[in-house]
Amino acid sequence: MDHEAMMALSEVAVSLELETPEMTLNIGPQHPSTHGVLRLVAQVDGERVRDIKPVIGYMHRGYEKISEVRTYPQITALINRLDWVAGYANEIPFIVGAERLMELEVPDRAQYIRLILAEMARIASHLVFCGSYPLELGAGTPLFFALRERERVLDLMESVTGGRFHLNFNRLGGVKPAAGAGSNTRKDIQDLPKGFYEGSREAMGRVLAVCDELDQLISGNEILFARTKGVGVMTPEQAAAYGVSGPNLRGSGVAFDLRKVEHYLPYDKLDFNVVTRQAGDCFARYEVRVDEIRESAKMVVQAIDSIPSGPLQAKVPKIIKVPKGETYMRAENPKGEMGYYIVSEGGTGPYRLKIRTASFSNISVLSELMEGVLIPDIVAIMGSFDFVLGEVDR
Amino acid sequence: MGVIERFGMPKPVSWLLNWGRRYSLWLYQFGLACCAIELMAAAGPRFDMMRFGIIPLPASPRQADLMIVAGTVTDKMAPAVRRLYEQMPDPKYVISMGSCANCGGPYWDSYSVTKGVDQIIPVDVYVPGCPPRPEALMEGIVLLQKKIQNENLQEKWKERAEQPV
Amino acid sequence: MPSNPSDTADLQGTLFAYAEHVADVLDAEPVVVRHGTIKAHVPRDSWIDALTKARDDLGLIFFSWLSAIDWSNKVEVGDPPTEEVDERFEILCTVGDLSEGKRITLSTEVSKDEPTMPSATGVYRGANWHERETFEMFGIDFVGHPDLKKLYLVDGFEGNPLRKSFPLLSREVKPWPGTVDVEAMPSTENPEA
Repeated sequence: MDHEAMMALSEVAVSLELETPEMTLNIGPQHPSTHGVLRLVAQVDGERVRDIKPVIGYMHRGYEKISEVRTYPQITALINRLDWVAGYANEIPFIVGAERLMELEVPDRAQYIRLILAEMARIASHLVFCGSYPLELGAGTPLFFALRERERVLDLMESVTGGRFHLNFNRLGGVKPAAGAGSNTRKDIQDLPKGFYEGSREAMGRVLAVCDELDQLISGNEILFARTKGVGVMTPEQAAAYGVSGPNLRGSGVAFDLRKVEHYLPYDKLDFNVVTRQAGDCFARYEVRVDEIRESAKMVVQAIDSIPSGPLQAKVPKIIKVPKGETYMRAENPKGEMGYYIVSEGGTGPYRLKIRTASFSNISVLSELMEGVLIPDIVAIMGSFDFVLGEVDR
Repeated sequence: MGVIERFGMPKPVSWLLNWGRRYSLWLYQFGLACCAIELMAAAGPRFDMMRFGIIPLPASPRQADLMIVAGTVTDKMAPAVRRLYEQMPDPKYVISMGSCANCGGPYWDSYSVTKGVDQIIPVDVYVPGCPPRPEALMEGIVLLQKKIQNENLQEKWKERAEQPV
Repeated sequence: MPSNPSDTADLQGTLFAYAEHVADVLDAEPVVVRHGTIKAHVPRDSWIDALTKARDDLGLIFFSWLSAIDWSNKVEVGDPPTEEVDERFEILCTVGDLSEGKRITLSTEVSKDEPTMPSATGVYRGANWHERETFEMFGIDFVGHPDLKKLYLVDGFEGNPLRKSFPLLSREVKPWPGTVDVEAMPSTENPEA
């Protein structure tokens, strides 16, 4: 039918006040954009979301229960798999917490190596975000640029530890000797491999270059602006009430970084800025992460330039029993604040291990943020929070 | 289909069909956990999986013929995995990637983890590792391609007709 | 520079001073400062009161987590406590601030025969999911919670997994030969130790 007839008909429809019932739309658990097995049950009215409820638990592996029957080194191997994009960063608050309970002094060189690997893990995690977030919004190219540089960083981590992202490199009291070294290896080559320093400087130079490439490719793109500016604005009050932390919090203007206040690694010796943006929308969170890659690359170069020499591990007995006590230790992970509350009864494993993950609290705010948005905005908001289901479900 | 089940196929025809099938696998995006990151790296620029013919990566199971179960399968997710497998049209293949999908992996004693995805769906190739390197995954895919090369369609479809999955 | 700065007299001093301030404001007893963590104990009836004062008077607006510990002398998994403990559930809640990095852990107890607690969702909205998780893992009922139902587990799941009385069935069938591995792995242990 022609245009006028259609307009006439639609006016009749509006005047009749047709009922448009709400529909329940189920997104997930298998969906290309949900970063894993997250299920969203959305009540939609046309294209507008009235109410959205995340259903989680599809990746619940029971970490806290199985930690009760494992020893500390075994748990260290297992907790890499929580935030599975940045594996090494998950170990750090746990190991530092256990070392606090044992009142061990960790040698400086080991702390610097931990810092270098933690910042590389942060770069790897943020590069995955910078690659996959534009993919969800429709741009397929940045993924390959980001993954190419990520491979370089993973190469460095592999040359030191043997693993690409699940490193399991910490020991109570320090770090392991480098990959392939044994107790028969000469002490001077048990350490970081040859070529690590030059390789890292080169790789960090490439990482800084790829941040500029990403800026050229997409950060000025109109479609990106239209889809992310002003979308999913989170106020600092909401963030604090729900426990949102990390780049999501800093995207809303709160300049709070645990690396500056919680002294678990020698960050106070390095010079870096806390990156914030004021807008609180998806674009602000994206920009915060790109700038954090730059800051982390500079930190790695500074740490390599000033790394002290010394032993790699404090003296610990063969079978390690952590004395009785409780402590809560938290660290600034790429996704936010990650903490472990360790209750030790003097055994080889903890009596109770409570894992506080960043993504669990980060996505509890989603149902408040997504009221009244359009359906495509769901993908944009979810992607900008950069969560992983391993952390959410544990 | 009835013709092939009853009379079989001459060798050149079956070779041709197998050749077509094994070099044009459509991989269904089903990454569950950490192994999905290695799957992504295997499809990435360095370990390019696409040169084996595994493009595109459809998002819908109805258009896929290879499902790589990458990651831990929990009891809550198991019915969904089963339903997705049933949605895939024949002929379909499954690769179980990583130790969690092979046998429960490091979470073998957990109360909510399915000990291996082969309890729910039939698996063709198992790729061990935690996570398996992208090269290991590609070897698994090459093994699957060799398996497809030696497939006898008449037997396969007769079996399916008698015992539907 | 010390390797563990939180053990220097400086930082310990500020922590102890802050702990005293916390004890005053929250009317909590005892307040323990160990290993960099301040743990303040309040009775169950003043739980909501203490949380409100922490948020408003102490400025601890950031809700970190809420969970529980099952103190039990007879355990199905792992090792039992070294000394005799009172059988109870201990509820823990950590809150912090967003300017200086101060944080405290509040704790209280409920008995195992009557595990009910007032809900903290009125004070911190983020407690919603944490209380749901504690409810399904321990069986503790939070009165006043808007939507107390299972979070992680399948609908037909029976039992509360994180209670010490909940066994891991796979381990009953075949215990893992892990005790053998506690002996030194050949080349990576400290030979002088």
